[in-house]
Amino acid sequence: MLIFEPHIHMFSRITDDYERLALAGVRGVLEPAFWLGQNRTSVGTFVDYFETLIGWERHRAQQFGIHHFCTMGLNPREANDDRVNKDVLAILPRYCEKDSCVGVGEIGLDDQTKTEEKFMAEQLELAKRHDLPVLVHTPHRDKKKGFERCIAIVKEQNFPMQKLLLDHGNEETIKITRDLGCWSGFSIYPNTKMDPARMVAIVLEYGVERFVINSAADWGVSDPMMVPRTVVKLEQAGVPRSKIEQLVWKNPIGFFAQSGRISEQMLQQPARANLRETFDGNSVLRGQDPDRV
Amino acid sequence: MSRMHEQLATLLGPAAAGADAEFAKVLADRSHLPVVFPGLPRRLGRNHLGGGRTRVGDATIDLDAFRPCDLAAADLLIRCEASDDELFDLYQHGDIEERTMLLRALHVLPVGPITVRMFGEAQRTNMLVHVEAALCDGDLFARTVGQPGFEPDVANRVLLKLAFLDLPLARCLFAERHANPGLSTMLQDLATEREAAGRAVWRDTWRMIGLAPTAGSAARLVGGLEHGDDGVRAAAAEGLLALGRKDLFAFAEERLPREPRADIRAILQRCLA
Repeated sequence: MLIFEPHIHMFSRITDDYERLALAGVRGVLEPAFWLGQNRTSVGTFVDYFETLIGWERHRAQQFGIHHFCTMGLNPREANDDRVNKDVLAILPRYCEKDSCVGVGEIGLDDQTKTEEKFMAEQLELAKRHDLPVLVHTPHRDKKKGFERCIAIVKEQNFPMQKLLLDHGNEETIKITRDLGCWSGFSIYPNTKMDPARMVAIVLEYGVERFVINSAADWGVSDPMMVPRTVVKLEQAGVPRSKIEQLVWKNPIGFFAQSGRISEQMLQQPARANLRETFDGNSVLRGQDPDRV
Repeated sequence: MSRMHEQLATLLGPAAAGADAEFAKVLADRSHLPVVFPGLPRRLGRNHLGGGRTRVGDATIDLDAFRPCDLAAADLLIRCEASDDELFDLYQHGDIEERTMLLRALHVLPVGPITVRMFGEAQRTNMLVHVEAALCDGDLFARTVGQPGFEPDVANRVLLKLAFLDLPLARCLFAERHANPGLSTMLQDLATEREAAGRAVWRDTWRMIGLAPTAGSAARLVGGLEHGDDGVRAAAAEGLLALGRKDLFAFAEERLPREPRADIRAILQRCLA
């Protein structure tokens, strides 16, 4: 079964992860711009990060036959940081127009401050101007209230619900979001957030309409194989294959296809993996023979 | 400039209206140039135009390798009179597609310091698509030779990139006019290095050294006539013909009855004519 992983921070992962993902059927990944574990001190570091997402990281994924897409945005944590927040907003328009950028994100709330709300609203406007869907990070602390506040801001901005993906949901938040017309994301983690068994229960109760699942794997304890692992659990629970395919392939592609820059057809074939080709003179080979990799 | 615009619009055909719309956005707000530029392939098309070689202003380009977005980019940059700094900014912050587009657009833009600078960038990268975009399917290289900063030695190193990446000389239009002994020395040194490593040698080496021989060229050309690779033998025969040394034609005569390829036999016969 082909899989599109709609939230994974490959910037923080190693090439073995790409290989394992490819072997598990992951044909495409979506990497949202995010917080790197500590705040950045100048806008230049965001420029470099954004250009890695459209450059080296795409190349790295391609070497394993995986199509790489991204969303661009100022994450909620650094939205609070006056050293960078305004300047990042100023440079985002050019990155929102890049070919592999299929949305604005991850934006949203974390500490649920007024500043976070201001920059979330501004980035919803940015998404409207570029006709892009939005990936919203919801708070891990006081999640239910955070969800409600995110939804309120979206409504205040008149942002279309069908272009909204509220991520990091759980059994409680689905009750808030299921009738809104927006999309719901569930991050499956080894310990925290959701786990495969709980995700199976949600699918059995609510189905898969406008749902996506992801690993949200990053630099912390997380597992990039969580989507394939959940697929196995769903199969074992008797969920029809067509439903699982909708959840892990058609839905995530369908949501980001609203950008007009990604389609199932584009992902029918693996990305062209040419191990002899380098990116700005750099390769993933580290001196190994491309014919033996 | 308006004549150039008309010419590009004709080549763009139905995409010309789209190019006008993109230009209007930049005209309304100059800061939109880096925002508009990345969207050109999506909006105007990235399939090759087709139609073979054509003249656009001073340039000769091969439309089989150019796309609507490449010509629209050129049109946009010319009409908004983009400065060298703006062009370099677009390259520096561009993704693979944008850089390709910018390098293709350079073929149509006036040759100047930015052309030299961008050849330097193309030379440093190992992205095949970027080297192709700068060097291949047009005569940009040939028109840039002699510009300040693009003296023969610099140009030799840029052309050597074709050999490194095994891109056919014929795609770099009129580059053979740049043949010189310094380049032949570089090519022969690279060939020796490759042979020692058991790697393939750029076939056009034999073609180029015949045009501007240096020490060792004659021996390499004669040896090339007996090479197992058809492409090398063809290039060696052409190189020998260009060299025009009658004392070496005996080798062509000796090879002729054993040469299985008709096209190569024809070249050898021209040597003997």
